[in-house]
Amino acid sequence: MTAVSAQLMSLETMNQGKIAFVRFYAYLGLIAGLAGLAYFGPGGYGGETDLLLFLSLDGISWGGIGAVAGLAVGAAISMLKPEWSDSKSASNLVPWLDGALLMILLAAVMALFEPNQALISYENQANLISGRIVMTMNMLFLFSAVSYIAYLFAPAAFIGQLATWSAWAGVYAGGSALLLRWYESYLISEEIGHAPVSNLYEVFILLFCITSIIYLGMERRYQAKALGAFVMTLVSAGVFFGIWLDSVGQGDIKPLVPALQSYWMKIHVPMNFIGYGSFAVACGAGTAYLFRHWLEGRGGYTRLLELFPTLDQLDQLAYKAVAIGFPAFTLATILGAAWAAEAWGGYWSWDPKETWALIVWLVYGAYLHARISHGWHGKTLAWWAVAAFLVTLFCFIGVNMYLSGLHSYGQLA
Amino acid sequence: MRNTATDIKSAILRLGSMSLAIVLLSVLALASIIGTVLIQNQEQADYLTQFGPLWYAVFKALGLFDMYHNWWFLSLLGFLMLSLSVCLWRHVPRMFKDMRNRKVIIADKSLQRFHHLHHWRLPGVSIEAIRAHIDAQLTGWKLQTAEKSGRTYIRADKGRYHKWGYILVHSAILVILTGGLMSVLLGLRGNMSVPEGASEKTIHFLKGSDMVSLDMPFEIRCNDFFIDFYASGQPKEFRSNLTIIDDGKEVLTADIIVNEPLFYKDVYIYQASFGDGGSDIRMKLFHMDGSQRTTTLKSNVYETYTDQKTGISLEFTNFSPFNIENMAAPGQPKQFQNLGPAVEFIVRGPGLKPVKIKSFMNPLIVNGENNGSFMLISLTGNASDYQPFYLGMDLTNPKEWQLFHAFNKRVTSNPESNDPQASLKAFRHALSEVYGNQKPEQIQILGGHIMQGMRALSNLPWPFIPVLEDYDQIYYTGLQLSSDPGMDVVWIGSTILMLGLCIMFYMPHRKVWLVLDPGDKDIRVSFGGMTNRNRLGFEREFHGLLTGLEQAFESATEKRSPA
Repeated sequence: MTAVSAQLMSLETMNQGKIAFVRFYAYLGLIAGLAGLAYFGPGGYGGETDLLLFLSLDGISWGGIGAVAGLAVGAAISMLKPEWSDSKSASNLVPWLDGALLMILLAAVMALFEPNQALISYENQANLISGRIVMTMNMLFLFSAVSYIAYLFAPAAFIGQLATWSAWAGVYAGGSALLLRWYESYLISEEIGHAPVSNLYEVFILLFCITSIIYLGMERRYQAKALGAFVMTLVSAGVFFGIWLDSVGQGDIKPLVPALQSYWMKIHVPMNFIGYGSFAVACGAGTAYLFRHWLEGRGGYTRLLELFPTLDQLDQLAYKAVAIGFPAFTLATILGAAWAAEAWGGYWSWDPKETWALIVWLVYGAYLHARISHGWHGKTLAWWAVAAFLVTLFCFIGVNMYLSGLHSYGQLA
Repeated sequence: MRNTATDIKSAILRLGSMSLAIVLLSVLALASIIGTVLIQNQEQADYLTQFGPLWYAVFKALGLFDMYHNWWFLSLLGFLMLSLSVCLWRHVPRMFKDMRNRKVIIADKSLQRFHHLHHWRLPGVSIEAIRAHIDAQLTGWKLQTAEKSGRTYIRADKGRYHKWGYILVHSAILVILTGGLMSVLLGLRGNMSVPEGASEKTIHFLKGSDMVSLDMPFEIRCNDFFIDFYASGQPKEFRSNLTIIDDGKEVLTADIIVNEPLFYKDVYIYQASFGDGGSDIRMKLFHMDGSQRTTTLKSNVYETYTDQKTGISLEFTNFSPFNIENMAAPGQPKQFQNLGPAVEFIVRGPGLKPVKIKSFMNPLIVNGENNGSFMLISLTGNASDYQPFYLGMDLTNPKEWQLFHAFNKRVTSNPESNDPQASLKAFRHALSEVYGNQKPEQIQILGGHIMQGMRALSNLPWPFIPVLEDYDQIYYTGLQLSSDPGMDVVWIGSTILMLGLCIMFYMPHRKVWLVLDPGDKDIRVSFGGMTNRNRLGFEREFHGLLTGLEQAFESATEKRSPA
């Protein structure tokens, strides 16, 4: 036990001070190197062959040189200006970047288990292993949701740990499965290869992971474990929808229609899902608030109530989630407008998806105004967070299902 | 008089109120929904049949068919701009004042109201020592000090410019809306279709519910249009090779694809759609009067051919060179096959029910086996109701058409045609008549073709079978032209918006006060803090400062009193 905690202690110091600072600069250098390759490298940015470009010798050398240069810059700064290396942004961001690297390494290891190239075909994708990893993710998220609910009734530390760890495992499974799927799309055929953010099935996996990451980050910072029962239940509901999508053949890797062949897709879509994911967490916090309020009204339940964050904390957590989601969603909408300007000839066409994005934006904008003005209390805003997420859900799924428009991506003509 | 003036003033001030802002945002959200449920800018006749005369008139009067450009929606947006302006006008001067003067000396009463408050009593320490500890703990904070009646007040700020976030966000929305207004008033957006080889100058667009056209200052010629397909049949790329002709001179030739428009004279030219630009069609008509006669028909897509003798007409509606279909049985792994060129047309005639036909140039070949010519027939005229109709014979092979007639002549001349033995004999005779001594391969399959032909042709109501023989495909490329002087304004507004949002959400204004009050035996230190955003984050931050100060003070007092 002491060995384990000693190890954890050393992990903590890994994320502080100079080590974190220098590592942070190495990551920045790596990203800058790859970005440089994408824009100025030999062959330039192909758009369609991006992943292969990064995995090529060029990618390794540009990324490697960038990382080493970043490392050197970081080391130099921490020597010359040691007070800078206490920077909070480095120690806050480095664990996330470590996680991303781990996810990439995981995907790389999984890629070793892919079937022989001769056995991979577009027509039958059942032998690709990302599907199995997605199913693992599904199970982990369901298990996590059950554990979080169990934790409410049997608050043993062990159960709580199990819930948190299975949620993290689910995030890593989902994230690495998506990366693997990206690689698999190139295995099927170089002309089909594209980033895994092009259809409902793929973005669902992205949404589960982002929602879970945002929640888990909050759980870590604010010890709000009871919230997990609400957020992970929402994720689980999505998991069932994802399984259904796969069962009706929506889970296959399909080639990109011309409208989606743009680097904007890789920026606009993930940014949107940071927004959606945060709004899901805000909805979870709102539901938890209403649940706690209801429990308090009934009296009793002291043991259960002890586990919950206070009403004020839940209110604040919902706000925090919206504070992450609102700027991200705004940026995503602006990026979408920029893409539309490049692909459709106008930054705003009042297409149903655009209009619903505006509606979502207005609803959360009103939420933020309501919070700042006086006379609006936690309960109303908790309801608002829940209702606003329903609007978000309609914008995300409903529009694609019920309304026609430019986002339906059928045929061009 | 004074009364009305104050009334007006209070009314204007109310325009900038928070509750009005919430109401406006909600009303805009609700109004926006209408336009997504009701499909915009359709044909007026379609609306009339959909809603009936009464509701059509009501909806039309309310402008619901062009929801986002009608007077009341635009007034709502204008109202929002007005409300934003009043709001800024009301609050900005005070915010600037607040940001400028930060009072250092705080009343005890105000300090008591802070959520985060802590007191120490520190014996045997000098004020200077305490100051030194405080300075060490509050690195990164903007410190100000003042003294009043023996007390020392230290105020520390972080995120002092938080209110800029508010100002930037709200001005940004004004800027974006202004950009939008410029786009509507000064912008231009319309479509043109240019057939391959032809040029076009006029764009068409909707103005209200009317289609309007406008001449561009230059001409666009479409030299070529290509579609590239994936192996699985989905379109991969739409590409137009265009030449801009300005003042009679060719100034620019370039390719455009979706997502990569062309820019000329402040106008963006986008690849928006495509279609058949009137392809040349040659059909072979197989006459079923027993004469074994075939004739050829030449026409174009979008044109109608009428047979003078029978009055039967073929209206050609579309041509497609590739028809990639999944040939696998349901539940089996997909198996895509290109069925080759096909033309679609509607057959009409006296006493005939009009039907839609898709006629393929090539016979249907499945797993290497020739299944003969075929067509898709839709009795309703909808493409979704197409049913395959197998003609049996491979009509691209003239021998099979001959063989059919040779066999048919023998069977009809023989009254015992139902006898399998007799028909086999008739088939053998027909074979030797058509092929002579050079017997064809796969006689069994050939027999199947002729038998299917006998069954199929008797079901056809027309005097001839139209089969696509040859084509020369001509596409038109659908271009969208747009020029938008408001766009850059919108991007500037968007940048300001993001900047403002980041300041607003991630740079909360945090204030802490330390009040040092020297007494007889000790120094009383009060430490209080507050923030306007992200209270949870501030709680941690305050707690961090508190522990730091606590430890520093403890060690300081221990050093001084080693007893």
